Amino acid sequence: MRSLLLQVAAVTTINLKSISQRLWLSLSTVVAIALVVVVLLAFLAMANGFKRTIEGSGADDIGIVLRGGSQAEVNSTITREQVRLIEDGPGIARRADGKALVSAELYLVVDGIKRTTGTKANLPLRGIGEQGAALRKGITITAGRMFNRGSNEIVIGKGLAREFTGLEIGSAVGFGTTRWTVVGVFEADGSVFESEIWGDLPVVQSLFNRNNYFQTVRVRLASPAALDALKSYNDGDARLKLDVKSENAYFADQSSQTSDLIQKLGWPLAIAMAFGALAGALNTMYSSVAARATEIATLRAIGFGGFSAFVGTLAESLALAAIGGVLGAAATYLAFDGLTASTLGGNFTQVVFNFKLSPALIGEGVTLALIVGLIGGLFPALRAARMPIVAGLYA
Amino acid sequence: MNDFVLVRKNLFRRKLRAVLMIASILVAFMIFGVLAAFYTAFTANEDRSAADRLVTVNKINFTQPLPIAYYNRVRAVQGVRQVTHANWFGGYYQDPKNVLIAMAVEPETYTEIFSRDFDFPAEMRQAFMRDRTGALVGEAMARKWGWKVGDHVPIQSNIFTQHSGSRTWDMTIVGIFKPQSGQQVDTNLMFFQYAYLDETRSFGKDTIGWLVLKTAAPSENDSVSKTVDAMFVNSIAETSTDTEKAFNKAFAAQFGNIALIVVLVVGAAFVTILMIVGNTMALTIRERTREIGVLKTLGFPGGRILRLVLGESVLLALLGGIPGLLLAWLITSTLRQSVANMLPGLTLTAVIVAEGLGLMLALGLITGIIPALNAMQLKIAAALGRG
Repeated sequence: MRSLLLQVAAVTTINLKSISQRLWLSLSTVVAIALVVVVLLAFLAMANGFKRTIEGSGADDIGIVLRGGSQAEVNSTITREQVRLIEDGPGIARRADGKALVSAELYLVVDGIKRTTGTKANLPLRGIGEQGAALRKGITITAGRMFNRGSNEIVIGKGLAREFTGLEIGSAVGFGTTRWTVVGVFEADGSVFESEIWGDLPVVQSLFNRNNYFQTVRVRLASPAALDALKSYNDGDARLKLDVKSENAYFADQSSQTSDLIQKLGWPLAIAMAFGALAGALNTMYSSVAARATEIATLRAIGFGGFSAFVGTLAESLALAAIGGVLGAAATYLAFDGLTASTLGGNFTQVVFNFKLSPALIGEGVTLALIVGLIGGLFPALRAARMPIVAGLYA
Repeated sequence: MNDFVLVRKNLFRRKLRAVLMIASILVAFMIFGVLAAFYTAFTANEDRSAADRLVTVNKINFTQPLPIAYYNRVRAVQGVRQVTHANWFGGYYQDPKNVLIAMAVEPETYTEIFSRDFDFPAEMRQAFMRDRTGALVGEAMARKWGWKVGDHVPIQSNIFTQHSGSRTWDMTIVGIFKPQSGQQVDTNLMFFQYAYLDETRSFGKDTIGWLVLKTAAPSENDSVSKTVDAMFVNSIAETSTDTEKAFNKAFAAQFGNIALIVVLVVGAAFVTILMIVGNTMALTIRERTREIGVLKTLGFPGGRILRLVLGESVLLALLGGIPGLLLAWLITSTLRQSVANMLPGLTLTAVIVAEGLGLMLALGLITGIIPALNAMQLKIAAALGRG
């Protein structure tokens, strides 16, 4: 047993050291595998970044109330009476003075100008109540200040400030005939709220002619489990009959379609490309076996087994694939990680997000590379193991 | 043994490698075909919109409403031949996931202006105008849900509610329309009467989504859009009027750099595959140096050897590329229906096929030329000496 291991170790070392003799060929295989990994990881990082931005926006102790069947905030409508009924509902956390931690909000779509293309794109303008900011995680003003209640001032999410033009602090923005002043930029833990514009609810309502209309109500739940109490209260009142969900569940629905689509593009493409890389890998390894034919035969002649030749060749292939996989992951990280992109999200407005690689994704990429290396090394390795000694010595 | 047999035998000497290379080329050309078809459909979409049609939307954003009064005011503008209006309904059937593209429209003028895209026979238009709860359904939508003329269907809205609190509108299908002959438009949509929506909805009364204007001639577009927008300056709802083409283009651009990134990455994938194949091809020929020396010894002239080697690489490219384009054709045909909303007219056009064939030839020649030239100029002694 020990001698077998020693044989394998010796042949593997010879194989790996001989890679430099076939430098260009080996390099082309490494590059091919690396490119496959880059394509796969670029797509997965895009899907992952989009998903994280949307799903990271929700909390399980925040309830969101929408008009039944409306699915997205932009479609929903809720009346003032319904808002009042929800405020009186069970399961809602309250301040010391008994006031419910509830924010009725208005969600409108306005035009902004994209920096990259100079074209118009849909931006969400959210009118938030007194408690609006407190019902979201990690809201901090990073520049300027919060809008003043009762004035036509707005604050801009960090993502929009980066991707859209004309929203600098101090600039005046016109939505139709209404004029607004940008007074601050806010951060929201990298969530989808960083792609929004916020203003004071009553001001937005009156300037957009939507007095007494709301679109969603967000509530701070006493505990995540309190959602059920609020749900049954809602279902039992004919005046409500609204959709009550946890913010988590709401955002999970919102992200699934787009990120699924991106993933469904990425995997087949990467697998298709892997076939190309496989052709390259097989080629390299067959050449390796051919080039070392005399060497393998000599080793066999002095008593080395076929198994060690098999393992040596396979190890060489796997090593090349691993280098390719790691290079590909590193290249993706350098070129794509943190790259900002924006697209239309579930609310028919722009969502700004960053490409995000994760260790799990890198694992998937390297695994694909190793599979290519394994298959690409297997057949040449079998040939190496079965090579007749005499033929090898004459080659 | 003629040259073709020799080429074929050479190519399939290592079966696995040949099959893999063919598979890679196949994938590359499949990607090329599908991507090119998408790109063509995307750009053709703009060209297809009528040159004499303008769209007027709320200046704040196209999802914001306009007062219905604008309809009559715009009709009176010099250079406007016809005006109609529409309202997005946010429709769905039975389950919110079954989204329906449904619009509440002014029946007479809408069917007149859009008769360029859809075939609305006179009787169908009459029936639509007569029946307040009537709906015109596109042939693709009718097929999808198995609807026939005369069916009563409950259509729900994710935006509106009725005064009664219900969000279901009962409609009667009074006609199923087809695309106008020669037009590549999606028919997975439906229209119903604006009056029906406006009388029953609990909010938003007397507002519309957008106006579509048909001008007397494309040369009038500029003056008409300026006049219309000037009419409503400083009113509650200022407007933005643009050609239908510009409007569609701006909407498509909203999907933003995602589309660009996909195109770049997929383009990179195509180039990568070709690089791998080219490299492998060049190596395959190099491996056979000694054999080429033997052919030369037997008296094969240099030109013939050049043709043999080039023939092999071109044959490889065609064997992979042609099925690749066929697959791309299959994929685009299957996808045509489902992406028709956003991207009507997705087809593998003759131009794309021609470009694809050109690329295959180029691939074969480029990957083959250097090894082929080397082989042609090879000195017999050197070739036989090499391993």
